[in-house]
Amino acid sequence: MRNQQVNITVQNLSVGYKKGKSFVAIKEGINVNAHSGELIALIGSNGIGKSTLLRTLTGFQKALSGEILFNDRKLGSFSIKELARVLSFVSTEAIRVQNLRVWELLAMGRYPYTNLMGTLTDEDNRIIKRAIQQVGLAGYEDRMIDQISDGERQRAMIARTLVQDTPLIILDEPTAFLDIRNKYEIIHLLHDFVKTENKTVLFSTHDLNISTSEVDKIWLMLDDKVVEGAPEDLILAGNFDQMFHSNKVYFNGESGDFMLRKNVIGTYTLKGPEGKIFNWTCRALQRIGLVYTETDPLVMINIPNMEENPVWKVEINSKERLEISSLYELTAELYKRLSGL
Amino acid sequence: MQKDRLISRNFLLFGLLGLLAILLFILDIFFGSLLIPFKTILHVLTGTGDVNPEIKSIILDFRLPKAITAVIAGIALSISGLQMQTIFRNPLAGPFVLGISAGASLGVAILVLGFSSVFTLGLFTISGSWALVIVAWLGSALVLFLILAVSIRIKDILTILILGMLFGSASGALVNILQYFSNESMLKSFVIWTMGSLGSVTKSQLNVLIPSVAIGLFLSFFSIKSLDVMLLGEQYAKSMGLRVRNVRFLVFTSTSILAGSITAFCGPIGFIGIAVPHIGRLLFKTARHKILIPSSLLLGSIVMLLSDIVSQMPGYESTLPINSVTALVGIPVIIWIILKNRKFSSV
Repeated sequence: MRNQQVNITVQNLSVGYKKGKSFVAIKEGINVNAHSGELIALIGSNGIGKSTLLRTLTGFQKALSGEILFNDRKLGSFSIKELARVLSFVSTEAIRVQNLRVWELLAMGRYPYTNLMGTLTDEDNRIIKRAIQQVGLAGYEDRMIDQISDGERQRAMIARTLVQDTPLIILDEPTAFLDIRNKYEIIHLLHDFVKTENKTVLFSTHDLNISTSEVDKIWLMLDDKVVEGAPEDLILAGNFDQMFHSNKVYFNGESGDFMLRKNVIGTYTLKGPEGKIFNWTCRALQRIGLVYTETDPLVMINIPNMEENPVWKVEINSKERLEISSLYELTAELYKRLSGL
Repeated sequence: MQKDRLISRNFLLFGLLGLLAILLFILDIFFGSLLIPFKTILHVLTGTGDVNPEIKSIILDFRLPKAITAVIAGIALSISGLQMQTIFRNPLAGPFVLGISAGASLGVAILVLGFSSVFTLGLFTISGSWALVIVAWLGSALVLFLILAVSIRIKDILTILILGMLFGSASGALVNILQYFSNESMLKSFVIWTMGSLGSVTKSQLNVLIPSVAIGLFLSFFSIKSLDVMLLGEQYAKSMGLRVRNVRFLVFTSTSILAGSITAFCGPIGFIGIAVPHIGRLLFKTARHKILIPSSLLLGSIVMLLSDIVSQMPGYESTLPINSVTALVGIPVIIWIILKNRKFSSV
C-alpha cells in the first residue's frame, strides 16, 4: 500500500451514538477531505465530538448518516480485514501490558499479513526494523513497554502503525500526557512520515500552537459546523475566535495562540533598541494588563543599557522615577502601584 | 543477537520444566498410603519384571489414573486461566474467581438433582460421564457469556471480578436450593459428586476427560495469534483486522470445555488457573501466547502434581483435600500479583 494515492472524502456526515432505540447526533453535516501527503490536525474544544468523529472514521462505530468515501469506495463496504490494510489507529488509552517488548508490540502490527500462527517472514522483520529506526527507537527492541517513558511508548505505538503499513493513520490525541519536547518531536515525526512515505495522517489535539506550525490542514470542529483549511486560512478567516464563547479567552491572530483577556490597568510606552529584551518586556507588561500607546502614556519605560545586565528606567505619571533590574520586580512594582492594591 | 539468546534461554527452560514434570509424575505415583519400592513402580510402568498383581492394580488402576488426572487438570485449568486473563485483560481472572467452575457445578446439580433418573445408569458409566461433562460445559458457558454481556457495558476490571464472584455465589445458592428440594437418593449421588477429587476419577471417566480436554486445547491453539493482539484491547485488535466476536466465542468455548470438564470430574479446584500463567510470565518474561500457552501446559502439570504429592502427606495414612492445597499454593502468588500491580495494570 506504500505510496498509494489516497483521497478521503467525508460527505454530509452525522456522527453520534445510539441511546436505547434512538440516535443522538453529536455533530451533523460534516464535509471534509484528506489526501495523500497531508498531515491533518482535528481541533475542537472538549466534548465537541472529536473522538466520536475519529471512531466513526476508523469504522469502530457507524455513521448516523452521510458517507465516508475512501478512494470513492464507501467505508462501510470494507471488511474488517480490508480496513486493517487501509487504516491503522492509535488510541488515547495508555497501553500498560507487562512483559511485552517493544519489538513484540511492533510485530503485532503485522497481524493482518501473517499466517495462522503469526510467523514473521524476513520481509516482516525488515519492515519492523525499519519502523523502529524511523521513530528513533533503535536499541530499544528488547525493552519492555511498561518500562519506557511515555514519549518512547507513544513512538512505539506510532511505529506499530508504520509496521501495519497503511496509507491512512488516525491518532486520538497522540500528544496528550507528553511534555513539550516530546509533543514537538511526536508531531515532527508524523510530519516526516507524511512527507517521506506519502501517507495521510489525521490526529486530534489540543496543542494549537504546535499544530498550526506543522500541519498541512486543520479540521476545526465548531459548535455549529466543521471547517477545514490550512491553519493560516482559518486564522485569517477568524474561525478560531469562534472556538470559545468566552470573554476571558481570545485567539491572538498575531501569535497563533489563545490568550487570557486581562483587566486593563493602564497604558505604557517603551523606548529602547528592538530585540529580545524589548519584545519580552512588552510581553511582561501585557501580562499584567498594560496596553501599549504612543500618546500620553501612564507609564514611560526606557531601556538604555542593552548589555549583559539590562536596566529598566520607569517614569510613572511623569512623577515617580524608578530604576529596576529585573522584569519580576518591574511587573510587581507596576502592578502594585497601578492596580490600586 | 539478543533475540537468539532469548530463544535459547526459552528452550533451556522448557527442557528443564519438561524434565521436572516427568520427575514429579513418577514421584506422584510413588507416594501413597502404601509404600511401594521405586523399582517395582518402574517395572510396572515399563511392563517389565514380575510384580504382585495387587500392587500392579494399585499402580495401574489407582495411582496412574490419578497422576494423569492431575496433569490434565493442571493443564486445563491453567490454559483456561491464561485465556481469561488475556480476554478480560485482567491479571486476576481465572475459572474459579470468575464463577466459571461454579457455573459448571450448577450444570451438574441440575442434571443430578433434577433428572436423577438418568443416573440410575450411574455416574461412572461412559454415557453418564458424557452427560456430566456436557452439562458442566453448558453451566460454564452460561456464566462466561453472562460476564461477557456485562463486560461490554462495564470496562472496569475490578467490577468484572466482583460480578464473577456474584455469579458464582448465585450458582452456589441455586445449587443449595436444588439440594433442598431433592430426595434422598438424588442428594446422595450429588454429595458423592461434590466430594470429587483427583483420585476419584476412574479409568472409564478418563476416556471422557482426555478427549474433552484435548478438544479444548485444540481450540486454544487456534487463538494463539489473536490472543496476542487482544492484549492491546478491543479497539486495537479490531483496527488490526481481528474479528473480536469470533475470537471471544472461540476462547470462551475452549475455556468452558476445559474448566467445565475438570469441574465435572474433580470438583471445583481453585487458584491454579490464576496463579500458573503468572509463574509462566515470570519465568519466560514474555506476553506472547506462543510461549505462554506451552509454558502454562508444563507449569500447570508441575504445580498440580506437586499439590497432589503434598495432599498425599507422604508418611501419613490420610490425604488432604486437593482444593485446600492448591489454595495454599495459589494465594501467595495472587497476593504477589496484587502487591506488584498496585496500579492494576493490564496483563
